[in-house]
Order: sequence, then structure tokens, then C-alpha cells
Amino acid sequence: MENIKKLIINTVPDAVIEDKQKLTVTVVPDKLHLLAKTFRDNAALPMDTLVYLIGVDRGEELGVNYLLCSSTDLSKEVVLKTGTTDRENPLLYSVTDLFETAHYNEREVFALLGIRFINNPDMRKFFLNGDWVGYPLRKDYDANPEINPVTLESKDIVDIAPRITETADGELVEDTVKIFEDDDYIINIGPQHPSTHGVMHFRTALDGEIVKKIDVHSGYIHRGIEKLSEGLTYPQILHFTDRLDYLSANINRHGLCMCVEKAAEIEVPERAQYIRTIMDELNRIDSHCLAWACQTNDLGATTAFIYGMREREVILDIFEKTCGGRLIINQNVVGGVMFDIYADFQKDVKAFIPYMRTKLVEYDRFFSHNVIGLGRMVSIGNLSKEDAISYAVTGPAGRGSGWSCDIRKHIPYALYDKVEFKEIIRTEGDSYARYLNRLDEIEESLHIIEQLIDNIPAGDICAKVKPILRLPEGEYYSRVEACRGEFGVFIESRGDKTPYRLKFRSPSMALVSAMPLICKNEKISDFIGIGGSMDYVIPDIDR
Amino acid sequence: MSSVSKYFSGLFTGIKSLLTGMGETWKELWTKKVTQQYPENRDTLVISDRFRCELTMPHDENNEHACTSCGICQMNCPNGTIRVTSKTIETEDGKKKKILDTYNWDLGMCTFCNLCVLTCPSDAIKFENTFENAVFTRDKLKQQLNHEGSKMREKKKEVKPVEPKAE
Amino acid sequence: MSLNYSQPLEISNLTSWLDAALRGCLAEFWVLLIEFVLVAVVLLAAYAVIALILIYAERKITAFFQARFGPNRVGKWGLLQSVADMIKILLKEIIKINRSDRFLFFVAPFFMIVASMLTFGAVPFGKGLHAIDFNIGVLYVTAVSSLGIIGVLLAGWSSNNKYSMIGAMRSGAQFVSYELSAGFALMTIVVLAGTMQFSAMIEGQRYCWNIFNGHISSIIAFVIYLISGHAETNRGPFDLPEAESELTAGYHTEYSGLQFGFFYLAEYLNMFIIASIATTVFLGGYMPIQVHGWEGFNQIMTYIPTYIWFFGKTAVLIFLSLWVRWSFPRLRIDQLLNLEWKYLLPINLVNILLMVILVLTGLTLTDLFPGLF
Repeated sequence: MENIKKLIINTVPDAVIEDKQKLTVTVVPDKLHLLAKTFRDNAALPMDTLVYLIGVDRGEELGVNYLLCSSTDLSKEVVLKTGTTDRENPLLYSVTDLFETAHYNEREVFALLGIRFINNPDMRKFFLNGDWVGYPLRKDYDANPEINPVTLESKDIVDIAPRITETADGELVEDTVKIFEDDDYIINIGPQHPSTHGVMHFRTALDGEIVKKIDVHSGYIHRGIEKLSEGLTYPQILHFTDRLDYLSANINRHGLCMCVEKAAEIEVPERAQYIRTIMDELNRIDSHCLAWACQTNDLGATTAFIYGMREREVILDIFEKTCGGRLIINQNVVGGVMFDIYADFQKDVKAFIPYMRTKLVEYDRFFSHNVIGLGRMVSIGNLSKEDAISYAVTGPAGRGSGWSCDIRKHIPYALYDKVEFKEIIRTEGDSYARYLNRLDEIEESLHIIEQLIDNIPAGDICAKVKPILRLPEGEYYSRVEACRGEFGVFIESRGDKTPYRLKFRSPSMALVSAMPLICKNEKISDFIGIGGSMDYVIPDIDR
Repeated sequence: MSSVSKYFSGLFTGIKSLLTGMGETWKELWTKKVTQQYPENRDTLVISDRFRCELTMPHDENNEHACTSCGICQMNCPNGTIRVTSKTIETEDGKKKKILDTYNWDLGMCTFCNLCVLTCPSDAIKFENTFENAVFTRDKLKQQLNHEGSKMREKKKEVKPVEPKAE
Repeated sequence: MSLNYSQPLEISNLTSWLDAALRGCLAEFWVLLIEFVLVAVVLLAAYAVIALILIYAERKITAFFQARFGPNRVGKWGLLQSVADMIKILLKEIIKINRSDRFLFFVAPFFMIVASMLTFGAVPFGKGLHAIDFNIGVLYVTAVSSLGIIGVLLAGWSSNNKYSMIGAMRSGAQFVSYELSAGFALMTIVVLAGTMQFSAMIEGQRYCWNIFNGHISSIIAFVIYLISGHAETNRGPFDLPEAESELTAGYHTEYSGLQFGFFYLAEYLNMFIIASIATTVFLGGYMPIQVHGWEGFNQIMTYIPTYIWFFGKTAVLIFLSLWVRWSFPRLRIDQLLNLEWKYLLPINLVNILLMVILVLTGLTLTDLFPGLF
């Protein structure tokens, strides 16, 4: 860390360095790009992954926080902060040329906070329509429904993107770019389409059967959870996390609980940690079963879809008996878990493990070597390791590209440092690698559960927590390994019982942002297949 | 490998993989189906005790409940599903006392997060696993949980300090 | 020995009795007219009924493959489900699409249904249950069944929908490719049987089905015919024109009500037709299992009516097709064309040559073991 500090001082001498929960550096907007580039190109410890890009309305200034970490060791983190006091026409420099994942995130910040980014190639609003009045995440936003009425009229999609670029002599030029060429054959895949796994909209330009270009339109189910959270107490916010990526509901909730517990310095009892870890892994198996099922379904094997659902049902039954919910599990609470395990929990889980193993063999025989399936997955949708890092594609997809990005290994939480498990990494980077990764991760999850299930210690399931929970002033981050990749929570507290700013880092958004890259020049059928292999969940993107 | 032998080995491994797949579906054809046939299996259907379907306020045989109408559940509800209204009455010894008038809960809005039950200081409400809640109009989803003419149980005379079990 | 077709359950008894009764009281012209109309009505009815049964069977069998029960709410075991669906489809509004080519849009389903209907008419269902017995039956079937593709292309073109268009184009490429293989596979058997007439072909398979008679070559032709037939009917894993997960419903996305019903019917009937042609050409059609010299056994077998044999064999093939459909993922368009042009067609060409050699050098089973078959 000292080296990093030295590096910062050498690059930007007037940077403000603070040792908070993470090493935090505040710089003026002009210097941010330079500093980020220095971090990225630092040979000793390249800080080349942009985990978070968080827009914050800090009151007098509109700012952005960047959490960078090293792709070789995810626990080496540094937070960059910058901001502008110009609330009328806030402009900051884009880091899209350094980290591709910044592209969509900056568009999101523009939609929600109104900050425009210089040199971002496409400054349309993400999530919101171009004609939305006001910027919802600003503290002075007027939520009066009459300002943005619900209309029933259809609006034409304008495929023209504004942008601001800085010329070589430092002048700012505002112009527009056309997303598609005039005679492109464009089909709308979504928002209502069987294979977008939700209300996602891909404007797809085709050349015969081949995908020329994809333009992602998102926000059809944007609920403004981050904005809503600013008016709710921490225990109340918990129920939103289940509604982000509903397939890894428990893990998302774990992430938020961890963040709040860290901030409030609550010690989680051992028993609760065991239950949390087991439930997380069950949740992961559940999600991967469904991912397998959906991917095969996207490739046209409808039978496999039902098989995956069948195994998932067993887990859902265990969830139902444990905490009274199936999809929306509501198990984790601040300080521990809501329900203790039921009497037969261990028996049921132990019966499930060998059952799932036989089913894994069945999956393998049924689909993994199918010649048609191989043709639709092998060498399709190639994502290189560099691109995976640049787009911050984590989870089974990132590990399929050879990037070791498992938070459970890099920044162990709960009991992951006490159990023994392999991080599944494949280097091919194609659909098939992602497919196999999921099946192998099911096996690893079973292995983790096996190690824990007999050793659940007796004790409390929940620590004592004050009825009205106020987090001390500060910025808190937590990162967990959700089923689709890294899920992160950022809380900026000003000492209230509600967060000042709360941000969820959604793994699916990174996955979708890589779709235009890896689907280019693939067939339209493979676009669907690749979507299945990436396994994004739309409500996770449209927070 | 020469291209000719590649051609044939590709053909045969391909056919083999297809036949293996067909073998799996063939096995499946004869295994017992997992589908639950719902209205028929109503008598044998087991819904877990903890399954959250309907918020209830348990009343005892004297038509008494435990709700002090403190409103903590209403405060904790993330989306305003619960409305507790209270009225003030005068007890025999002349003291003014706040008692529960109506306890309204909207099934249609509830997210089943269980916060109300967790935070209730007097354990007056709980979730039941009665899952057959389909009705024809939204109005019917709005329920009043306290029974007609019910009153608060008297044994807990002194109100305990507000201290929920968790959170 | 001649077959004893005078057994009571055979429908030819009924038809010949009817024919005789009509001839007894009417002039030849009127007899023929009435008979033509009757045959047409019966075929149409059979067409609809077979489709209903197939739809039910497919849904049920699919369900069993998929760890489910399938339709089981309408009627006992859901038997009335497809009837209910039919009524629903008949009652649904036929939606007019803005800026579509109205005339072609209207005509397209008819092409589909007429093509499959014409083929259906030439299928020999049983002894005497054969509407028309061309001496070039095989050629006729191949020719007429390829009319259906026009319907698909027209539907895709006229819908003014990009998904439909892609579906139709895929379908065109697929159909043209696989028509070749299907034709060649049938030709292989024509070489073996020496006739194109279905009835003669069936008669020739009395003691030895074509699939056994030409052994290696026949079996290859059979498999190729099943694959390409499957592909021609646009059913999974060759359902690219519909490709639910990619193109929502492909060429018939914009159709509703009865017009959609036509496509739906034609799809199922095409499956049946492919299976029945395969039965007739490879598996001895309606001919009961007969063994040379086992007179008693042969007699017992012939007591089972020929149409039962026909439908039984066809059902096995249909089951096979369902089994394949629900086991595999969908092919991509280039995989599909690869399969045809790199595997099926070359194999087929070699195979037809092999068959010619087999027939010319007397290596077919009937030539090798004349006493046995």
C-alpha cells in the first residue's frame, strides 16, 4: 500500500490521500484520467479492474467514486474520488478508454445524476428515456409524477447518440454519432422476447444471419431501488436485495448485511455464519441449475430445461422449510439470520448432495458432449482474459476466460477461508467454458456444503442489534461472490438511520456490457446461445 | 489425424453423443414423474410451517389478541402495507388508554419480508402458511386482522420496553 | 399362398360392399362422383382427426420425456385437450396485419395445407384404403410435398415482420437442401424395389422388408430419410424456421386463429406423412409380418387388419421422431447445411451406387437366401 501511496504522490502531487475502510484518493477532475491510467499501467501491481463507478450527489458537488482493484489480487483496492461543483452542466472525464465497463456505468451516472463524461463515445442516458426531466439521484430531484407523466404513446427509438469529445488542443466539441448505418437491417430482440431472460432490449443489426452490431437498451424494469433505499432504514432495504438478481437472492442479501455489519461493527455469531454459507452455496447450486437449464433451452433443448428446474425444486423446498420463502428467501438479516435451520435440515441437505451428483452425471451425459450442443458452444462468443478484466466480467463467465476472480478466494468472507474448495478456471473463454464452469461450480458448492453441514455449532443465530440502526458517518464497501459474479454494495452514511447513498454493483450489467463485443460477427442463433451462457438476470441490471 | 479419418471419427463420436443423450431421455420416460397435481393432492400436500402466506393476528378463545397498537410494525414496513389505527378509551380507573381500533394489512402490497413479525414487541402477529389466497378483486386482498369486538389480552399489564428480537 | 383378406375387420370389405351397392342402383358417372366426394370427405376427416391425435400424443409423450404429466385436466387423461384447443383456434379472431401483403398473407396457409393434403391422399393406409395408386407414387409424393415450402416463404415474406422473414429464408435453405437427401434415399429403395408404385412396393416386401433386403445400404437410406424427412417437416432439432428461442415463432409469428391452425395442422400431418412414407417404403407398409413357409403364423398375422399394421409401424416412427425432437438442441443454420452437404448428400450418393451394385451383383437378402425370404 505504501508503494501505491508513493505512486499517487509521484503522479498527482496535490491528491488527498485518506486511510478509510479503503485507501481513498481525492483528485481534481483533470487529473483523474491520468491517475487511473497510472494505476492501470502500474507494472508491479496493476490496478486494472474497475469494480464500482458510483455517482454521488455530495451536496454542493456532484462526484464520482471509482473503486479499482488489481485483477491478480482482488483484495488490493483503491478508491478514487473526484467531483465537480458545477451543477448546471457537470462535466467529468471518462475512463471508458481505460476500462470498458465504465461505458455503461457512466451512462447510468448521466441518467441518474446528470454528469456528462467527456470522451465517452455514446452519452445517451442508460435506464431512462432521453427526455426524462430531472436526475433522480440528485438530492434536489422533484419526484412529482406530473413532471414525468406515464404516457401510452409509443416513442420512436432514436439511434443517434450525443457525445462530448476533447480535441487535441483541449477544446470540447459536442456532436452526435449514428449508432447504426442507414441501410442496416435492424431487428429488435426484446423487450418482449423468449430468450432475453427478462425485459431486455437489444437493437441488433444483421447481415443475413450474422450479427453486425448490438445496441443495448435497458431500463424497462428500472425501479429506482437505489433511490428508494435512500428513504428506508437498513433492515427495510434488505428486502430489495432479493429483488435484484432474484436467482442469487440470498447472496445479494448477504452482501448488504455484511456491509452494514462491517459499518456498525456487529459480530455475527458462528452459527449464523455457517447457516449463511450453506444457504449461499445452496443458492448458488439453485442458480447454476437454472442457468444450465436456461442455456440449454436457449439452444433449443427444451427437455433439459425441465430437468434443471426439477433439481432446483429440491433446493427450493429446503429454502421453503428453512425460511418460508422459495425464490425470495429473506434469510439474512443484519447481525445473523432470520430463521434457525429446521430439525431435518441437515438430513435433507445430506440427501440432496448425492442426488445432485447423480443428476450432474445425467446433465453431463445428456448435454455436455452432444455434438450439436458442442457446435453451438465451442469457440462461440470468445471473451479474452483482457476483455473480461476490462469489462469487469466476473463470475463463471470471467473464470471461463481464465481470470481468477472468485471473491470467495480473494477476499474471503463468512466461512470461505475455513473450507476447502477449488476455484474453477478455464482459459478458453467461449460459451462452452462458461457452461462447464457452472456445472463444475455446482460440484464445488456441494463440496463446500459437505464440509460444513455436520459441523454447525450451537449458539445464537443473530447478534444483538439496536432497534434503530444508525451507521457511523463514512463510506462502506462490501463485495461478495454472487451466482453471476461479483455483487457489491456501497453505502455512504451520514450518520442517519437511512443511507445517504446506496449503490449495488450488479454482475449482470458487466455481463451485458460485454455482449456487443463477443456477439459481433456471430450468428443470430449464437447470440441467443451466448446470452444463455452469460446468464444475465435483467432486474439485476435495472436496479 | 488425416482429414478423412477426422471426417469419420467426427461422424461416429457425434452419433454416439446423440445416442447417449437419447438414452438419458429414454430413462426419463420411465421414471416417476415429479409433478405435483395440486387440487387433487390437497389432502396430502404439506406446506412448510414457516412458509409466509398470510399475516394473521392470533386471537385466543376469549377473542383477545396481544396487539398494543404501538405501531412498530407499521413503522418497519418497507412499503406501507400495514395500517394500524388506535383509539383512546377510558379504563375503569379513569386512566386514558390507547387501544387497537383496526389493524389493516394489504396482501396485494406485502412483500413478505417478515420485518413486522420480527419487530413486534408483543408477538401479536405472525405469518401463516395458508396459501390459497386468490380472490377476484383487489379490495378483497385488504384485510382487517383484528376480529370484530376483540380486545387486548390483559395479562401483560405493564408494557415491556420496546426491544425487538433482532434488528 | 395368397393372403386371406376376407377377415371381418378389414375396411376394404365395407368399401367394396358400398361400391357394389351404389353400382346396383346408379349409373357409372354418379357412382364415381359419389365415391370421389366420399373419399375426399373421409380423407379430410382423417386428416383432421389424425392431427388431433398426433397433437395429443406429442404433448403427452413430450411430457413423459420431460418428467411431467402433460395435459391431464380436460377430459380423462386430458384426452379432450386437443379438441378444446381446436375449438379455441377456430373461435379466435384472424388478425389483419398493417402493411402486410394481404393477398399473399391470406394464400400462404393454403399452400401449406394443400401440399400436405395432396401428399396425404397418396398414402396407402391399408389394403384397399389407398385413394390413388399412381404408378409413379414415390415421385408424386416427393414432388407434391415440396409445394409446402412456397407457403412458408410466402408467409414469411408477406407478414412484414423481420423475424418471419428470417424464419422463411432459413426454411427455404433447409427445405431445398434436405429435399435432395430425402429424394435420394427414396431413389435408393426404388432401385432395390424396381418400382415406384406404392402398392407394388408393398407387395414386394411381403417376406422381407426393404430395410432388411438391402441391408447396409437400406439401413443407411432409412436413417438418412428419417433425418431429412424430419428436417423437411421443420421439427426439432431442425426447427430453425420457427426457432422459438430466437425468432419467437418464425414464419408464422403474425398468424392467428384458423390461419395459424393451418400451419399447425400441416406441421403435424407432415410428420405423419414422412413417417407413413418411411413405413411404406422401408417397413413393408400395411403388409403384416410374414415368414416364408410358416403358414399358420402368416394366417394369424393377417387376421390383424392391414390398417392396424400401417398405423402401428407409423406410430413407432413418429415416436422415434418425437424422441429425437425432445432430446437434442437446435442446430444452427451452418451446422444444418453442413450436415446435409458434407455428410448426408455424399453418403447418399455413395449409398445409391452401393445399392445399384448390391442389386446388380445379387447381394440383396432375397437374392442371397431365396428360400428364406
